[in-house]
Amino acid sequence: MVQTRMGDGMKIEMSEDEIREDIVRGVEDAVDRAKIDTLPQEEIDYLTDLYTRPSKFVSVEPGNEVVLTFDEGSVKLKRLVISIGRIPDLQIYERVFCSDTAELAHVDYSFKPVKPIIAEEQIEMEQALLSTILPLYYGAMPNLSLYSQPDGEFPNPAELLPKGKIDEAQKAYEGMIEHGIKDMVFVSSKMYEAGADGINFDTTGSAGEPDFLAALRATEKLKEKYPDISIEMGMSNEFVLGMHGDLEYEGTNLAGLYPHEQVKMAEKAGVDVFGPVVNINSSESIPWNIGRTVAMMKACAEEADIPVHANVGMGVGGVPIVETPPADSLCRASVALAEIGKQDGL
Amino acid sequence: MSSELFEQAARSVVDADVEEAKKLANQALEEDIPPLEMIEEGFTSGIVEVGRLFDRGELFLPQLMGCAEAMKEASGILKEAAAAAGEETAEDIEIVLGTVEGDVHDIGKGIVASILEANGIKVHDLGTDVPTNEFIEKAKEVDADVIGTSALLTTTMGANEDLIKTLEEENLRDRFKVVVGGGPVTERWADKIDADGYAENANEAVRVIQDLAN
Amino acid sequence: MVISHALASGMGGVRTTGDLVARLQMSEGMRIEEAKEYVADKLDVDIADMSDPVIMDEVRKEYGIGRVQPAAGEPKGMEAKMNIAELLDIKINSVENFKDKTS
Repeated sequence: MVQTRMGDGMKIEMSEDEIREDIVRGVEDAVDRAKIDTLPQEEIDYLTDLYTRPSKFVSVEPGNEVVLTFDEGSVKLKRLVISIGRIPDLQIYERVFCSDTAELAHVDYSFKPVKPIIAEEQIEMEQALLSTILPLYYGAMPNLSLYSQPDGEFPNPAELLPKGKIDEAQKAYEGMIEHGIKDMVFVSSKMYEAGADGINFDTTGSAGEPDFLAALRATEKLKEKYPDISIEMGMSNEFVLGMHGDLEYEGTNLAGLYPHEQVKMAEKAGVDVFGPVVNINSSESIPWNIGRTVAMMKACAEEADIPVHANVGMGVGGVPIVETPPADSLCRASVALAEIGKQDGL
Repeated sequence: MSSELFEQAARSVVDADVEEAKKLANQALEEDIPPLEMIEEGFTSGIVEVGRLFDRGELFLPQLMGCAEAMKEASGILKEAAAAAGEETAEDIEIVLGTVEGDVHDIGKGIVASILEANGIKVHDLGTDVPTNEFIEKAKEVDADVIGTSALLTTTMGANEDLIKTLEEENLRDRFKVVVGGGPVTERWADKIDADGYAENANEAVRVIQDLAN
Repeated sequence: MVISHALASGMGGVRTTGDLVARLQMSEGMRIEEAKEYVADKLDVDIADMSDPVIMDEVRKEYGIGRVQPAAGEPKGMEAKMNIAELLDIKINSVENFKDKTS
């Protein structure tokens, strides 16, 4: 028997056969939902070997390392109740964690609240860029929910939809999209002008496909304005939640798209690096979760023409949904996605 | 013949075809198909399929509302006929639903409300940032079967525990079932705080609530 | 979490060449293998050595592109990035801004 975990982080013991069966079931679930290819037998064998090794920690073979980017880095140490400014935080990411990129972000982590403090954010970015070497993103979430009541002027679709007020909800979303694009372009422009190496639209789609569409349109506008700007787009869910239902981008309905389909939309808009998400099911085992995660991530990477950096953290990418992700699960997810998931980065 | 009608009924719900659903409900009555059998075997199968499709990203919230409308209209016709014929119909399950205090996330909770409504569960949606006492007062007022809470943040999950403790202090713990859910909430957490049920997603919430209430 | 990732699959950032490979992904849209090959070629190192901190620390010192533990007088921050832009033959936004403001 081998120790592994449930998606909620609980330690469990499974036999090698049970682990293999769960990996296969996970892959089958991914194939069924996302309508993608299954994994070949040798990759199932590889994952089974990875998840049955008794060692606490595993790593990729030398030469298979990938780029590591960490979203929202500059506020994460503060969350650990460490009294630290954002620039020392970024320097720690560069020099202690040896991250390959870092990200300046405001604690609100949404574009809208950054608007009134944009000058302060620019100064922080300028200062950070003088004393760091690694590429620095400025990141925030499109967070379209902030444009509906009580935080914004539009009626709240999350309240309208359960009441069956579909037309009103759709109209509200359409207004929210326009406001969201304006703020994303405004903030991103200012931060790019301050010298940021790139802009990260993080947790895109959290308010459904209107959120995704707003980020795609904002990307288009930014690329038109600054052809050299680098845009990363990280997702929030494995499929795009259909909250409007009728929103298209380049002739494709955005609702319900899975990672391998999302990345093609991102490419069309001009995104440079794409960050897919596959959610954890906390009631299934980690082997089950890694099977479906790797299958969906690999399909995305194979379909992509741009670098793909999977989200691998609390509750996504084969990592249990706990605030303190255990190293045994995290390192295995990291390795599985680098070596089998064909990721360009994590 | 009735199996064909059941299939058509299920399809009318999946297609969100309200007029077709009403027509099929009336046709079932004309053909002397027991109304409750028509609901269970026909329309309910349809709404279960709707939940499955929504869970897979193959059907979207606005369409789901249309499906719920078809279900509601057809069931209404059949339940009325069943009552007129003296058939005993199960009482509607009622739930008081909200996002816990300190948490303003409303999208996931709204989806759960929509799916529950679509499945014929009466939802009293209190919105977001709902204090513990408001959940309890509303549940007492409407004599709810279930209190359902959503917490999207690790920092607000604790409100679920407060709710259960307060229900115990007020000797109401046996009166209402408590079902918890939301991003960081897990079955392990639900067990730990002694909740009655946990749902990973909106679709599962339907099954858990129906099991608990019946 | 960051440390587990870094040990399990990370390129090593400024200890090795991770920051440089990331720049090629970001600005040129290169996939991982192409980006590694490009950087290895410019630095005149083997791809196999790109995540080796012993070799890469020496290489980074030699090119003046910043190290994890730089000595006094070595290029750091913006100075190192100016050298990176020249060595990799890419435009770095902050370097361009710096030049515009100072020249």
